[in-house]
Amino acid sequence: MQRFVARSGLLEGGRRRAQSLLRSQQQQQKQTRYFAQAAREKEIANDVLPKMPPFDYSPAPYTGPSVDEILAKRRQFLSPSMFYLYKKPVNIVEGRMQYLFDEGGRRYLDGFGGIATVNCGHCHPDVVDAIVSQVKRIQHPTILYLNHAVADFAEALASKMPGNLKVAFFTNSGTEANELAMMMARLYTGCQDMISVRNSYHGNAAGTMGATGQRSWKFSVVQSGIHHVLNPDPYRGPFGSDGEKYAKDVQDIVDFATTGHVAGFISEAIQGVGGIVEAAPGYLPAVYKNVRKAGGLCIADEVQSGFARTGNMWGFEAHGVVPDIVTMAKGIGNGMPLGAVVTTPEIAEVLTRRSYFNTFGGNPVSTAAGLAVLKVIDKDNLRENASTVGAYMKDRLTALKEKYEIIGDVRGRGLMIGVELVSDRQKKTPANAETLHVLDQMKEMGVLIGKGGFYGNVFRITPPLCFTKEDADFLVDVMDYNMSKL
Amino acid sequence: MAFRRQIVRATLQNANGNNFAQLARAGGRCLSSASPSSSAAPADSPPQLPPFDHRPKPYKGPSAEEVLQKRKTYLGPSLFYYYQKPLNIVEGKMQYLFDESGKRYLDAFAGIVTVSAGHCHPEILKAIVEQSELLQHATTIYLHHAIADFAEGLAEKMPGNLKVVYFVNSGSEANELAMMMARLYTGNLEMISLRNAYHGGSSNTIGLTALNTWKYPIPQGEIHHVMNPDPYRGIFGSDAAGYAKDVEDHIAYGTSGRVAGFISETIQGVGGAVELAPGYLKMVYDTVRKAGGVCIADEVQTGFGRTGSHYWGFETQGVIPDIVTMAKGIGNGLPLGAVVTTPEIASVMSQKIQFNTFGGNPVCSAGGLAVLRVLDKEKRQQHCAEVGSHLIGRLGDLKEKYDIIGDVRGRGLMVGIELVTDRKEKTPAKAETAVLFEQLRELGILVGKGGLHGNVFRIKPPMCFSKADADFLVDALDYSMSKL
Repeated sequence: MQRFVARSGLLEGGRRRAQSLLRSQQQQQKQTRYFAQAAREKEIANDVLPKMPPFDYSPAPYTGPSVDEILAKRRQFLSPSMFYLYKKPVNIVEGRMQYLFDEGGRRYLDGFGGIATVNCGHCHPDVVDAIVSQVKRIQHPTILYLNHAVADFAEALASKMPGNLKVAFFTNSGTEANELAMMMARLYTGCQDMISVRNSYHGNAAGTMGATGQRSWKFSVVQSGIHHVLNPDPYRGPFGSDGEKYAKDVQDIVDFATTGHVAGFISEAIQGVGGIVEAAPGYLPAVYKNVRKAGGLCIADEVQSGFARTGNMWGFEAHGVVPDIVTMAKGIGNGMPLGAVVTTPEIAEVLTRRSYFNTFGGNPVSTAAGLAVLKVIDKDNLRENASTVGAYMKDRLTALKEKYEIIGDVRGRGLMIGVELVSDRQKKTPANAETLHVLDQMKEMGVLIGKGGFYGNVFRITPPLCFTKEDADFLVDVMDYNMSKL
Repeated sequence: MAFRRQIVRATLQNANGNNFAQLARAGGRCLSSASPSSSAAPADSPPQLPPFDHRPKPYKGPSAEEVLQKRKTYLGPSLFYYYQKPLNIVEGKMQYLFDESGKRYLDAFAGIVTVSAGHCHPEILKAIVEQSELLQHATTIYLHHAIADFAEGLAEKMPGNLKVVYFVNSGSEANELAMMMARLYTGNLEMISLRNAYHGGSSNTIGLTALNTWKYPIPQGEIHHVMNPDPYRGIFGSDAAGYAKDVEDHIAYGTSGRVAGFISETIQGVGGAVELAPGYLKMVYDTVRKAGGVCIADEVQTGFGRTGSHYWGFETQGVIPDIVTMAKGIGNGLPLGAVVTTPEIASVMSQKIQFNTFGGNPVCSAGGLAVLRVLDKEKRQQHCAEVGSHLIGRLGDLKEKYDIIGDVRGRGLMVGIELVTDRKEKTPAKAETAVLFEQLRELGILVGKGGLHGNVFRIKPPMCFSKADADFLVDALDYSMSKL
């Protein structure tokens, strides 16, 4: 997206001076980092293992069931489709900020955040405090009676939203939030056709499974009225980073596959499950324009990109758009089962035609946690941290890309970063086996990250937002070390 | 004990003949049944809440007006609430709730049949707090014992081959999953649900739900809503065979002859505590299975011993379903739901990835397991049977007294009182229900409302509800109805 800013001649001189100062500062920092990096790389070349940053905390001794006992029970009593990461799965029993501990008290750097969910940090004292005080007073009176917690949280959430987005509905998950958003769009417009993006993930209930755009997550169910458009994927898409070219596919679908009027368009600003694919610049503004022309509503799925993860409060902010409906979950409660839909009063009005009710949604404990999270984001300066540490880590990973042919792409924003592994840079052939292997090896060395992408060849790095530069160094060094062994 | 003190007090307070009725009632319970003479009026002074040794914390938060204003601004016009002057509930303990001024209320609705063990039950609190301080969330991609232990605990409560557990976050999610499983397992699309049922508010479950108030006009494909085996309002009364034939007819004439499945609550909750005609499920399960379908029991409201006679609602009908869904009481208020099914049905789900980010998280699993243990330890199922039959018995007496009570029904602590202005026509007494609803609140009792016409009181308290509570509730109802 291009922004043209008028510059005043009077300020130009001062600005140039400030810029040159900044540049020399940055160069100095770069030099320091270069030397530190060189030192680390020397260590790696000499087979010296990277060291986890120190952390002044001892986990409680664990006396619960062992890995084998748990595995046996999982096999016997839980879904056969329930999978776990790693050849030798980790038994995580405790968490503190950006670290997790296994049954033996071993510390791991959590580079995945419980799947982009624990934004403030595991058992962040402010959040735990809010939860514990509320749970001791009342867990669940039902929202049919008043209670200040849900009202205070809704107000605070609205204050973080642009435009006229100020009415909130609380659910218990991202799936429920997206289901509600899709229903509202259909009711508001009177149209059934929804447009979603290929490679997206929106949930696992009937409507949201339809919107989801990846076959591994789609069972053979009826999907009424969903159209999946070309993914504006800068790395694998046919139009590279030209967002407007991809947007044309949306117009085509509207013109040829629908009545010309649609219920809406739903997308993630950065696809999470799809492998941290950020929409090509220019895409969202163009699509939002087309969809609105066709009478449709624009839904931003902020389940993974929301709550400061990308360095902005919301992922859509970096694309210069204001959606009609925003859905969120995951990071909203630092791990509490909570989801939300925020929209305008006009759109919210559609639900008054009948009754929509969510028994657990908006309960005092979840909303108290949600409010605590918003406060922590401000107090702990998490937007700034995600932005700075994220940029730093992305730089280091980009440098790693120069070193290893297997890294096809490094992408993302803030602390939502993806590293795609390919065995051929031209053909972009997914390097699944290597991805799994390095993932496993990194865990052995104390770093937990995630995996994603349609081909399962993308590292997903979405740590708690209290992640530090030292943590980033450790993560990248461990990745470096293990890639050097490939 | 408390009741006797009440009687003495009432006797001393009332100079006219009212004390006779109360004494007769008290005596009736101990000696012989009191004569339900309509001329015996209740005391002039309202009944009192049973005593309770707990002082709520002083409340310093926003007032009811402030909260209501914020709700209207930030939570949208569709979020409704009970009572003309809505209640600001700030604290809870076992079967009681406290408002901003510290006033105590008897919670006869349990946050909509959700707080099963009791508000802030100490053992459950302990489990939640301990786990919250250790680890809230990591997801099932790593191991953790809580989800495995809880799944085992749940499976142990299930009959037959029902032993594979999926954890979700709500009843809607659980029913969505069950419906998808039914369709995948059978390869058929048609689902059958009962008129007057409530199963959820998401895409597919809105289709299963069969009450127009809760249905938005969205595509719902391939759902058949069959006649409700409603003993009070149904055309066949309590004769299940007539209703069961309707299912056969739907399958024979409205489908390809093969269906995906059938889902029902054993006692409809939102629909007004309607218990299915006896013998219905046996017949229908047979029909549905012959047509290749699976049988889903929605235990979101009836599960965990609430019906008193059995742990699960479906057991009261002598059947074993293929899939069981639960939520609400499962976590005493924690956002938690579950689906339990057989290994055969579960195996179809392994064709693809099925994942729920929050489902089975350590805190909810620890809380859920604590709930199972507490309900067993405190023998809540038996308690529901005892207190429930006492409650239903007294309500039956009340029905003799007031024409407006059209029906008293339910089992254990899942009770419904339907109010009608005409016993023959069964005309819903909507206005009177609304008035009594408010009156009860004034007297310190919070009940629920249900039924398509909103004329059914739903009495589904936390399962620690006592006989004294039941007496207080009935006396208050008596008192209020006498003033109508």
